[in-house]
Amino acid sequence: MAPFRFLEEVALADAAFEATGDTLSDLFEAAAQAVIETLVNPVTITPTCRKTIERRAPDLPSLLFDWLSDIVYLKDAEGLLFKDATVAVQPDQSDGSWVLRATLAGEPIDPTRHELRADVKAVTKHLFEVRQDGRCWVARVVLDI
Amino acid sequence: MKLSTTMTVNRISDEVWEIPVSEKPGMVVPARIYATEQILTSMDSGVFEQVTNVACLPGIRRYALCMPDGHWGYGFPIGGVAAFDQREGVISPGGVGYDINCGMRLIRTNLTVEDVKPRLEPLMTELFRKVPAGVGSTGFVRVNRQEFEEVMRKGARWCVARGYGWQQDLERIEEHGCIPDADPSKISDQAVKRGINQLGTLGSGNHYLEVQVASQERIFDRETAAKLGITGHDQIVVMVHCGSRGFGHQVASDYLKVFEKAMKRYGISVKDQQLACAPFRSPEGQDYFAAMNCAANSAFANRQVITHQIREAFSSVFSHPAEALGMEIVYDVAHNIAKVERYEEGDLVVHRKGSTRAFGPNRPELPDCYKETGQPVICGGSMETGSYLLVGTDRAMHETFGSTMHGSGRTMSRAQAKRSVRGEQLKKDMAQRGIIVKAVSMSGLAEEAGFAYKNIADVVETVDRAGITRKVAELRPIGNIKG
Repeated sequence: MAPFRFLEEVALADAAFEATGDTLSDLFEAAAQAVIETLVNPVTITPTCRKTIERRAPDLPSLLFDWLSDIVYLKDAEGLLFKDATVAVQPDQSDGSWVLRATLAGEPIDPTRHELRADVKAVTKHLFEVRQDGRCWVARVVLDI
Repeated sequence: MKLSTTMTVNRISDEVWEIPVSEKPGMVVPARIYATEQILTSMDSGVFEQVTNVACLPGIRRYALCMPDGHWGYGFPIGGVAAFDQREGVISPGGVGYDINCGMRLIRTNLTVEDVKPRLEPLMTELFRKVPAGVGSTGFVRVNRQEFEEVMRKGARWCVARGYGWQQDLERIEEHGCIPDADPSKISDQAVKRGINQLGTLGSGNHYLEVQVASQERIFDRETAAKLGITGHDQIVVMVHCGSRGFGHQVASDYLKVFEKAMKRYGISVKDQQLACAPFRSPEGQDYFAAMNCAANSAFANRQVITHQIREAFSSVFSHPAEALGMEIVYDVAHNIAKVERYEEGDLVVHRKGSTRAFGPNRPELPDCYKETGQPVICGGSMETGSYLLVGTDRAMHETFGSTMHGSGRTMSRAQAKRSVRGEQLKKDMAQRGIIVKAVSMSGLAEEAGFAYKNIADVVETVDRAGITRKVAELRPIGNIKG
């Protein structure tokens, strides 16, 4: 399971988390898992469909912000919740931008089977951070509930 | 007095406190917090930091304000109020919040608790069936893009024209349920896709639909209450708290990005990225205003469709048409919005984020039926403690840009609340106290336990004593629907 922990002291009325990863791809998977688990207990999700996401951004914080926002968007726009994500993050040497290719595995929302949690309104920029701590990547994210 | 800030906070009166401009570089006006000493000492440090950040924004007039239910938010504190000059000032999505036109609606009935108690369980089951709640829930109203644009332009008027409400509903909604200057061309495809299927849904978090009782002994001003349609005698009323759902959330997210870039262009720097703003008169400022009004209208429409469903549920359970049950709207008012309003200084862009408009008597915006009483103000408490109906005052017009509190304000994190009680246990405990709860999410239910919030009675007492709103009635819950 990808490592993340919720930060209680950061957002009283909302949900904040810190995700970590040995690689950027791991970090982006862990952060996605935190968003997924804010919305639903993933144990109750049986993946019946896959969504492929491709994103490009000028910097890592923007790429992570857009990626996590995609999960929130798909929940409302396509009525999908996910069990987990597989992510590859790479730099584009030609222009210095960052590229994400990801697959989300999930299924349409079914309140009779899914253990639903909190409806995330948005990924916020409050205290939003992506940093390298030694050999580990760390991200801090606050979600508006 | 021990505060969570080292800033100087001067006592103006027992309920008003001021942080002078000398406390933070860049403050244009002082910050004022409405609170008793007890509430002030319980406020988190974010309130002091954020209200003084707001006081630094260009073109702000008089004061940056925070109401007694204030707590840390994004950019502005929750409970924040700020008014900006139209020409020199800014508009900020952070001063409105992600849930544009999150607000409250109160519907009266002529039923009593004696009529309803024996059928409360089937009533709550029917309401739970008819008003979808929870993560990503969708409503029964199906519209195409063109029709959704009409919802953006016309708000609750669109609903009434489609048969989801009564003509007289409109006069008892802020702005008659339809804010002008809404322009669907300023809305992204993403926002449309997030919101087009969600009309008539509650959402989750602290949103709810509640069946409540207005008892004679909890009415503080009988004459005003009667004019608002609240007669007491264990009268049943229904309260709805929700907003613009995924549509509004996406509009806010879209324009925060636009404003981040615009700030560089206009040479504006802010203390917090979530305070991103643009001059009100700039193309970006006007685009956001037009898009925000679309989301605000969709929220009025959302609460209107929910009202239609509530009337249908009551009608089916009590075998009488909703008209015969006296199910009139008392009022519908936003608590996350920015509006242009006229004050002594002229037309100002008033931001209310977790704060309710509280216009005093005789304001031209009020319908004739409330010209004498002042505008009804609906403040939701936690699902265990009850809610309040108040009215706006002249004093609010002079002191707080016609604004007051909106709820009770959290004091405990969601995670701590979940550790303190299990949703199933809370549901049982509440049932023993005569409150039937229907919840989509048991963990979500635990997060909203009464002990996670300030005591709303203390907050209401503060605004009443400060004179910026007058309390009319307390409403106690007997049934609650949560996402």
